[in-house]
Amino acid sequence: MGKGNKLASWIGVGVLAASLALSGCSSKSSSGGTSDGKQEITYATTSKVVGLSPILTNDSVSSSVIEQIYETLFVRDIKTGKIVPQLAESYENPDKNTWKIKLKKNIKFQDGTPFNAEAVKYTFDKLKDPKTAAPRASLLEPVKSIEAPDDNTVILKTDKPYGPMLAALTHSNAAIVSPTADKKQDLMTQPVGTGPFKFSKKENGEDIVLVKNKKYWKKPAKLDQVTFKVVPEITTAVSMLQTGKVQLLDGLTTELMPRIEKMKNVEVQKKEGTPVYYLAFNMDKSPMKNLAFRQAVAEAIDTKSYLKKLNGLGVYSNSYIGPEVFGHSGDSGPTFDQQKAKKLVKEKGFGNKTVKLLVANTASYMSMAEVIQSQLKEVGINAKIETLEWGTYLDVSKKGDFDITIAGWSNVTADGSELLYPRLHSDNVDVTNLSRYKNAKLDKLIEESRTTIDEQQRKDLLKKADQLVMTQLPVFPIYHGVASAAYDKSVKGFEIEPTGQWSLYNVHRE
Amino acid sequence: MAGLIVQRFIQLLLLLIGISFIVFLSMHIAPGDPASIIGGPTASKADIKAIQENLGLNKPILVQYWDYLKGVFTGDLGFSYQTKQSVTEALTQRFPNTLNLAIASIIVAVVIGVTAGIISALKHNSLFDALSTIIALGGISIPNFWLGAVLILIFAVNLQWLPVGGLTEPFWTIEGMKQLILPALTLGTGSAAMIARMSRSAMLEVIRADYVRTARAKGVREKSVIMLHCLRNAMIPVITVIGLNFGFLLGGTIITEQVFAINGVGRLMIESIAARDFPMVQGAVLLVATLFVLVNLIVDIVYAFIDPRISYE
Repeated sequence: MGKGNKLASWIGVGVLAASLALSGCSSKSSSGGTSDGKQEITYATTSKVVGLSPILTNDSVSSSVIEQIYETLFVRDIKTGKIVPQLAESYENPDKNTWKIKLKKNIKFQDGTPFNAEAVKYTFDKLKDPKTAAPRASLLEPVKSIEAPDDNTVILKTDKPYGPMLAALTHSNAAIVSPTADKKQDLMTQPVGTGPFKFSKKENGEDIVLVKNKKYWKKPAKLDQVTFKVVPEITTAVSMLQTGKVQLLDGLTTELMPRIEKMKNVEVQKKEGTPVYYLAFNMDKSPMKNLAFRQAVAEAIDTKSYLKKLNGLGVYSNSYIGPEVFGHSGDSGPTFDQQKAKKLVKEKGFGNKTVKLLVANTASYMSMAEVIQSQLKEVGINAKIETLEWGTYLDVSKKGDFDITIAGWSNVTADGSELLYPRLHSDNVDVTNLSRYKNAKLDKLIEESRTTIDEQQRKDLLKKADQLVMTQLPVFPIYHGVASAAYDKSVKGFEIEPTGQWSLYNVHRE
Repeated sequence: MAGLIVQRFIQLLLLLIGISFIVFLSMHIAPGDPASIIGGPTASKADIKAIQENLGLNKPILVQYWDYLKGVFTGDLGFSYQTKQSVTEALTQRFPNTLNLAIASIIVAVVIGVTAGIISALKHNSLFDALSTIIALGGISIPNFWLGAVLILIFAVNLQWLPVGGLTEPFWTIEGMKQLILPALTLGTGSAAMIARMSRSAMLEVIRADYVRTARAKGVREKSVIMLHCLRNAMIPVITVIGLNFGFLLGGTIITEQVFAINGVGRLMIESIAARDFPMVQGAVLLVATLFVLVNLIVDIVYAFIDPRISYE
């Protein structure tokens, strides 16, 4: 997320102009794998793969490779969205602070060593060890001890009940690694997991080639080989898809949708997703700390008409916790009402001060900022856009050097607690709580949602929390994301998850 | 000559220390923390602190610089903050691609530029001259990213004569050469235009010189007049421009590498700057600076061969 830059958007504009000039595109569908009958697929990624250790990476591209090589104890069922066991067999809670997880038997890592409770303990201990400096050590922060009483049982103990435990265990950063391999080699370059594909080689210094794990514990995958090819410029990646050089592309961008949807050899898949894109108000500053100002901004923005510009890559929901995220409770926030907003601005004199709208320089955020700026102008609020490169943006936004900022959250665990806690709990001011929001009532609801195990109770708590957020408006959602992918028509069985993740296990070429 | 080379190497050493210091300092002063980027927006305070400690970013800047410099002098450029890969290894992997691209581009630039420049000068004020001046102006003005994208759409997507991108095959194979054509054209056009303008004006100056008139009066064949008397004498300023352009091409492949998905030093540099991967940025900048100085040194040496009057003793 958010790794694009101004250069990319300029290139996009150039290519768009060129596409218009060159109407009548030709397409080439590549038929089933290669000439020697091997089933192969090449996926184009716009960022490089940082590394292949689930413990040491936290970027979406590395995750997309990691998810083919490694597996987690639990996964979200792609159809129902419910959490189901994967490497785990079952679990129980003998008490509220204990998670007793039974593991599946007879599973082996790709290096031939057995998957067992010791491997789970080794992985989680390493993830939590401060010396490891794992970027997502916080996933298991509430876990105080990990025990392996026998080969197939793992016991996780927490000080306080931890509601999103199972959701955390579905995260690819909590995937299980082979302890033998980890001690022997660097998993960043030589990964070993239990998944359907295993690492084969690195090509051209950056492309990753995986091959089928013939000894996979379920039926082996249908694809023999998968290549993750780095193509930094998305328009070039689209051209490669069109000419059949690559067969799969995800994270499609709004401006490229018309071109992709016209390509005869390509199918597009869209699914309502878990990400949320929203405005964060800096609650330490005036006039943002005035509820009337936040209401005026929320009522000034016509989110429904903005969605029409997204070419199907966004869904409307007037709640912070989106429709595909656990804890979603239906719409409860203010709706577009320009007259009401105008009146509020006039009455309270909000038009006197110019507010700074801070955005990272990704193409989608910048165009969103322009729309918001013009809609605010219509109700009398003057906003000045300040665009920053991603690395600088991360720093500046955390320090609170803005009035309003456009932010996003990918919600990979698809759990509302894991959105509200980092983004709006007072513990996380100066880090992930960009709004710098401190509300004891909301803090309590979030904490309870995290420390309650019962799903229905958690849902009720999250519903209350979401309603409180949508009335107090420290944030205002613009839209909820759509997971998208485009692939060659020869690719069958591909299915994207609401989180934007996908597995190539069931994929084949025809 | 030997004196010149020794002198240049001493200059290079001082220059590299200076550059490394400036790059080091500017990367550290610039906003953006490598640990925050590695952790991503979802990392907690404790996560980020652990990464900072792990990378040694909590030490004072000068101590970090001294550690780095000690490493450089022992041939160790350090490890990437992000991928943990050795900087030397990353540069060695990617440099051949950048070098191939820069050489192919300078060939394109010299062939197109020198030819167009000479013909323009010989047919001074003709239609060809006017057209070539306009095209040269266009060549300098058209941005690489636009030209690259348009070339891809025409030759790779619509006509399907050439591959969309990548530099994955060795350049001496047919496939490798096909992969080089579009990026080399994209990158070489700007330089071709500059070389064409310089060749034209240098040739115009020489053509009007007395010794050329004398040669013609003596009945020397026109071809010999142009090739032996004019071209050689017009080459000094042209070679300067070619040399400078080659230096720029080595460091200026960023956009072309980005558009054509070429895994080169330019892209490594831009990715590393975005990720605040300090050791990688420093390594790449030092490499490009060294090459720039070396190319200039080679140009100086070539002068002496072209014009015997130039001596460095």
